[in-house]
Amino acid sequence: MASDPASDDAAAAENGHGNGNGPSPSKRPRSVISAAEIRAEFAHHDAAVARVNNGSFGCCPASVLAAQAHWQRLFLAQPDAFYFHGLQQGLRRSRAAVAEEVGAGDVSEVSLVDNATTAAAIVLQHAAWSFAEGSFASGDAVLMLHYAYGAVKKSIHAYVARAGATVVEVPLPFPVASADAIIAEFRAALAVAKEGGRRVRLAVIDHITSMPSVVIPVKELVAICREEGVDKVFVDAAHSIGQVPVDVRDIGADFYTSNLHKWFFCPPAVAFLHTRKDDPIANQLHHPVVSHEYGNGLPMESGWIGTRDYSAQLVVSEAIDFVNRFEGGIEGIRSRNHEKVIEMGRMLAEAWGTFLGSPPELCGSMVMVGMPGCLGVESDDDALRARTMLRKDFQVEVPIYYNSRRVEGQEMAKDKNGDPVTGYVRISHQVYNVTEDYERLRDAVNKLVSEGFTSSKLRPSEKVHSQLK
Amino acid sequence: MASAPHGDAPEERNAAPPAKRASAPITEAGIRAEFAHHDGTVARVNNGTFGCCPASVLAARARWQRLFLSQPDAFYFDALQPGLARSRAAVAAAVGACDASEVSLVDNATTAAAIIMQHVAWSFAEGAFARGDVVLMLHYTYSSVKNSIHAYVVRAGATVVEVPLPFPGASPGAVVAEFRAALALAKAGGRSVRLAVIDHITSMPSVLLPVKELVAICREEGVDKVFVDGAHAIGQVPIDVRDIGADFYTSNLHKWFFCPSAVAFLHIRKDDPIASQLHHPVVSSEYGNGLPMESAWIGVRDYSAQLVVPDAVDFMSRFEGGIEGISRRNHDKVIEMGTMLAEAWGTFLGSPPEMCGSMAMVGLPGCLGIESNGDAMRVRDMLRNEFKVEVPIFHNSRSVEEGQEMAKDAKGDQVTGYVRISHQVYNVREEYEALRDAVHKLVLAGFSCSKLRPSGKVLSN
Repeated sequence: MASDPASDDAAAAENGHGNGNGPSPSKRPRSVISAAEIRAEFAHHDAAVARVNNGSFGCCPASVLAAQAHWQRLFLAQPDAFYFHGLQQGLRRSRAAVAEEVGAGDVSEVSLVDNATTAAAIVLQHAAWSFAEGSFASGDAVLMLHYAYGAVKKSIHAYVARAGATVVEVPLPFPVASADAIIAEFRAALAVAKEGGRRVRLAVIDHITSMPSVVIPVKELVAICREEGVDKVFVDAAHSIGQVPVDVRDIGADFYTSNLHKWFFCPPAVAFLHTRKDDPIANQLHHPVVSHEYGNGLPMESGWIGTRDYSAQLVVSEAIDFVNRFEGGIEGIRSRNHEKVIEMGRMLAEAWGTFLGSPPELCGSMVMVGMPGCLGVESDDDALRARTMLRKDFQVEVPIYYNSRRVEGQEMAKDKNGDPVTGYVRISHQVYNVTEDYERLRDAVNKLVSEGFTSSKLRPSEKVHSQLK
Repeated sequence: MASAPHGDAPEERNAAPPAKRASAPITEAGIRAEFAHHDGTVARVNNGTFGCCPASVLAARARWQRLFLSQPDAFYFDALQPGLARSRAAVAAAVGACDASEVSLVDNATTAAAIIMQHVAWSFAEGAFARGDVVLMLHYTYSSVKNSIHAYVVRAGATVVEVPLPFPGASPGAVVAEFRAALALAKAGGRSVRLAVIDHITSMPSVLLPVKELVAICREEGVDKVFVDGAHAIGQVPIDVRDIGADFYTSNLHKWFFCPSAVAFLHIRKDDPIASQLHHPVVSSEYGNGLPMESAWIGVRDYSAQLVVPDAVDFMSRFEGGIEGISRRNHDKVIEMGTMLAEAWGTFLGSPPEMCGSMAMVGLPGCLGIESNGDAMRVRDMLRNEFKVEVPIFHNSRSVEEGQEMAKDAKGDQVTGYVRISHQVYNVREEYEALRDAVHKLVLAGFSCSKLRPSGKVLSN
């Protein structure tokens, strides 16, 4: 049982009027969740939409939302009692649940923050202080992937580049054929970073890149970093927990973060940041929003960053309870999502005459599928406009990635008609998805192709022409 | 309803709020219904700490949350930014800003402080400020802000100078005098004073300060930048940011402005070059697009509390005189209740009415023997657990001001503890009577704080 029986005592104390059930009463064993129950849990999703983009914003089942609402009501009823008697115990339970899920040594290694973007700011602010205070020298290197998430790239720029770091990017092939190709590029970039005896202070490695989405062999890359004398490794695993197995000790990074609201059924938004407790750096990390907990360790600092709604961080146990209603728990969910998304991806690729952007072993519950080249996606803006059109005209929600032709030395892959494939959809599969969602996407794209649609028709100059008609 | 979208059409989401027809002011029953989610068994005289939010604004918030859950991508692309823009505009109108581009929405004043302190830290680290340049703050500056000053600007090389403030019995003149003296000290030896951090209404003890005058003194005396931490201010006292004239002004909207937990604004004059140098510490794809935009997207999270400012404004307009009427009546009531308590306990108000908004410090009988912050916290817990009274207690240390005699109560005991009572629209007289009677009971029972201290607890077990 994921929830602590002591929670009932704490909950009884916190509101003092006998309505003392904590949000997680003991569960009797029940049968595996049914399809109808899953539909009920996600009845708040707009049913008209083919929602094949769990990767961007995640999802949260009704039972977890109800638990969240319970915490929100406790706060509203008597906020001082909530603050003094309920909040910290609740956060600690959540941290303990996360620690267990990710194979941490101890609950003290886990901090809860809003999202991986916040975790990145924490790690990078620390690196900036190191430059500013002289423990790192101007010009020391920070390594990141070319496909690092946009916000993290900006954070690297805002903190460590500003403070004096040299930033080295690892180019990654896409479409990508194997983990070996990724490892080779990583080694090469690391060699460049170390040129002239430069110190590499931090490597920022995505566990699963966002766009294009590929599962990166992080364990091997972390090991390479250790061999090559990289000071610290930060694995940005925003997408990972609930998609791929996460064992932080096995992966061996210094800092590991993942969002719990993407694939772990928590409400928006909550993420964890893991740091090894025997690492002296643990008490040098600070939450950027400084409160009276400053200096009490990152878990405590993150547990109070001023008055705000912490309820999303208080329902991790309920999310685990939800997950355990499925055959095989989170492992079962993951493996079924993976099988389904590959099956659906192949179905789309066949229908469109294209291919998957990476082999199944480099996919979790998401996969990149090439779009017919005749659609003529030639920029990020084209991709966004096509996405908007799919949403508005076809009620299909799927992010589209524009693969620039400018990747060195690599010939642009072509579809069955011989057109270069420049656009990819990133499809996700989560427990609420059904085959029809992907068929609607398939048919929408087929329709566009048969109508002779090209992205040039949506570009602004074309719009002006059509408005003059 | 001003902000919550009804239809699916983007035009509806982006439309200006519909005009309100005049209606009768909200009734007592209406107010009770709006706050029915408050624990009715508690004498909730502490609006100052966590604020409150009426049911109608919570309902608007829930509509936004459901919109996100239903189709989060459409929410992100079509609804979120226009909704936040409407909230910023509502704030700009409420505080006399030139325009909405001067307003950023953040979680709380603690976050606003971090934004400013981080900027100052960079200024030291990058050499725009020299080691030893001064940052001025008040002795009673909020503890989180003090920590932020320590974590950012002291760490980066600033010298911090504190302004001692008299308590009890401050007057605007006394505050100004202390401020001038501390500023002279800060500038001693030709030092540059880079930043003055001034609370509009201090938290503990709570005193309304003459910020406009203090800002003017800072300008006369060549202080680079002034940050007014008005965490408690909006909804308690009128705010006109141009009149106050600070470089940075922040206030929480969830304390006294009926927004849900939590949302605050940070105001910066748009013609100030520093505006484009401030950054939200959680860097996202909006980095470099100005603080309002940076703050409007700091990764996936629940922004619904920031989206209902127009709904809170609508709520306040249902009261006679709107927010001005509310704050005026709150002030009158809290002074009346504070005076009632002081008379009943033989004590006094911690500051004169003109230095109070909707909160007042009232001395506790000295025989209670509050001698530390730990004592104050234990008494507060006891009031909560045994008397169902929620009120924060301040321990006034004897070591604060040189040469000041500790004020005494009617029995001649030194007054070392104060309650901070608040009055908000949901409060009723009975709640203050419950507080009065609880303290009376403790006094009659011969209670003293030594009984609650850890060693005392062991003995009584």
